[in-house]
Amino acid sequence: MTLFENILIGDNAFIGVSHLSNARARQTLQRLNVEKIVEVIRAASSNGATGYSFTVHPTNSQILAKLDSSGVLAQDFSLYPILPYAAGYVRTMNEKGLLGTLGELLNQVSMVDRAKLLVRGAATSVAEDPIGLMKIYLDYEISRIPKRAKIGGVLLHEVITDLALSYRASNIVQSFIENIRNKWHATPGFVTRNFSRFVDFFEQMKLPFADLIVMTPFNRIGFQMTPSKQSCEASLSRVGNSKVIAMSILAGGYLNLDEAAEYIRPLNLSGAVVGVSSVEHARQVFTKLRTIEGQRSKRTNLPQDD
Amino acid sequence: MRKIGLVGLGKMGVLHGAIVNALPDCRVSAVCEREKFIVNMAKKVLPNDVSYYGDCASMIENEALDAIFIATSIRQHVPIIVEITNAQRDISLFVEKPLAESADSARLACETAANLHGVHMVGFQKRYSPIYRHAKKLIDEGAIGKPLYFTAHSYSSDLLREGKSWRTKKGTGGVLLDLAPHLIDLILWFFGDVKSVSAITRSLYSREVEDLANASLVFESGLTGQMNTCWSIRGYRVPEISIEIYGDKGNMLVEDDMVKLEPTESTVNQEPQVVYKQTFDTQVPFLMDQPEYTQEDMTFFDCINRGSKPATSFSEAAKVNVLIDRIKETASGTI
Repeated sequence: MTLFENILIGDNAFIGVSHLSNARARQTLQRLNVEKIVEVIRAASSNGATGYSFTVHPTNSQILAKLDSSGVLAQDFSLYPILPYAAGYVRTMNEKGLLGTLGELLNQVSMVDRAKLLVRGAATSVAEDPIGLMKIYLDYEISRIPKRAKIGGVLLHEVITDLALSYRASNIVQSFIENIRNKWHATPGFVTRNFSRFVDFFEQMKLPFADLIVMTPFNRIGFQMTPSKQSCEASLSRVGNSKVIAMSILAGGYLNLDEAAEYIRPLNLSGAVVGVSSVEHARQVFTKLRTIEGQRSKRTNLPQDD
Repeated sequence: MRKIGLVGLGKMGVLHGAIVNALPDCRVSAVCEREKFIVNMAKKVLPNDVSYYGDCASMIENEALDAIFIATSIRQHVPIIVEITNAQRDISLFVEKPLAESADSARLACETAANLHGVHMVGFQKRYSPIYRHAKKLIDEGAIGKPLYFTAHSYSSDLLREGKSWRTKKGTGGVLLDLAPHLIDLILWFFGDVKSVSAITRSLYSREVEDLANASLVFESGLTGQMNTCWSIRGYRVPEISIEIYGDKGNMLVEDDMVKLEPTESTVNQEPQVVYKQTFDTQVPFLMDQPEYTQEDMTFFDCINRGSKPATSFSEAAKVNVLIDRIKETASGTI
């Protein structure tokens, strides 16, 4: 019996995401501002949350700056950025088309990186290399995180992870893992809504399933657990020494905290990420989660094919 | 193994390709994309066994395809359907919404496809969402009695300054062709044929197309309703649809994530009955964005297997184009 290692506060409520109701998400957003959000994160931290998981939404750079100046990042509290901010680029694509979006992305990259691009070769050939582009983009985003922060892991957004699974693009996954490990000395992670397929993919592609973080839905009603609740539960025994952090444990607010906790307690999870939108809610959620005694089964390494 | 061709590798083409690849016995085996730059990118991440073509005719000529997903800009949809039909191959077609840029063009698509064996379906995925299916069932079962009046909107923050993509160009864009088709399809599905229309359209940021439309609709059934659509409203992270229906026995609110039956006089002591999407079994073999995308693609293949006609057939989809044109005609001069 061990306590959960990763108890994270997620940023959904802070950027207008709700899996229960979009209208409710907009209302929540209206009563929040950066100061209030930082208060909620502080409350989470002082009640047992071990870190903050967030997409690189524009609001989050303000939140991080404030967390930094208010000393939260100096404490025993880690950051888990999720990259890229997919929804933002979908909007840019609607406005500017794919080429315009790539242009915008390159414009965001600092002058130094743009100079590197030119040294490496014609801008177009670099722009035609999605793996190279992703690397430049990730480096840019990670470099913007406050220096003082402890990075618990850097996670690839579910849209990219799940596209990579389906198109069998192991080079995307491999390059992401190498870049985060070698350049940033951080733990690479993946968000996926197709957990069983994710585990299958690593096995089929002979990718080393070691020391990774996987963030994926686990909840009593099987909401967003793909292809099924049973299959995802069974796949938990095949993750080697990687850490699985459950998301959507409340199924977007559909379940109550007690039933959510009861469900995740016996699973082979390293923790959970939960979004909260008020100090009181943060207190309730993290007080509960920090006391759950999980039953992580004895982890075994996957056989390695050399 | 079914061999699938993708025409257009924009975000919807990539999405459908991902779902298709994840379904049993289906593989994207060919891609038709004119933009060299996109092809060069795709070659670096897509499986090596995918072939690439710059035009649809040579893709059909060289590949024994079972089905084609057309996810190009709207104006290319019908010329591509005609091109495929001319090749006289029995290929099933899935076309992203809307079917065409105009009612005339949609009619041509229907007539042309009538000469082609196979399934012809349009991507109105909201009809495969358990929430909208539940709402339709409640309406049909008379849960709110006879619908008398409705107000509906479809809003997004997709366009908050002048856009540069085909979505804001005359003939291929505008909020009525881009954002509104889902809402229009749902309204026609819920309430049947429209008798008369009056409307206004306005542009807020775009030079060539409308960014907003308000339409008053009178249905053959006698029902009346207001439909508002705008893609330039701030604060919408994702597009949202809302339909509020007032019946002679009760009221109902339908949104993407829930259906709410409002209590009436006779049920005054009852709480509103709210049903969220979590209530339904929405498990799919592969989840990308909302499960209804997978549901609709599975329906497409299921119709191919059974030789049946999908609910969102070309002829159903053409009705959406007819109503869009009527709204535009009535509103002409109000931009």
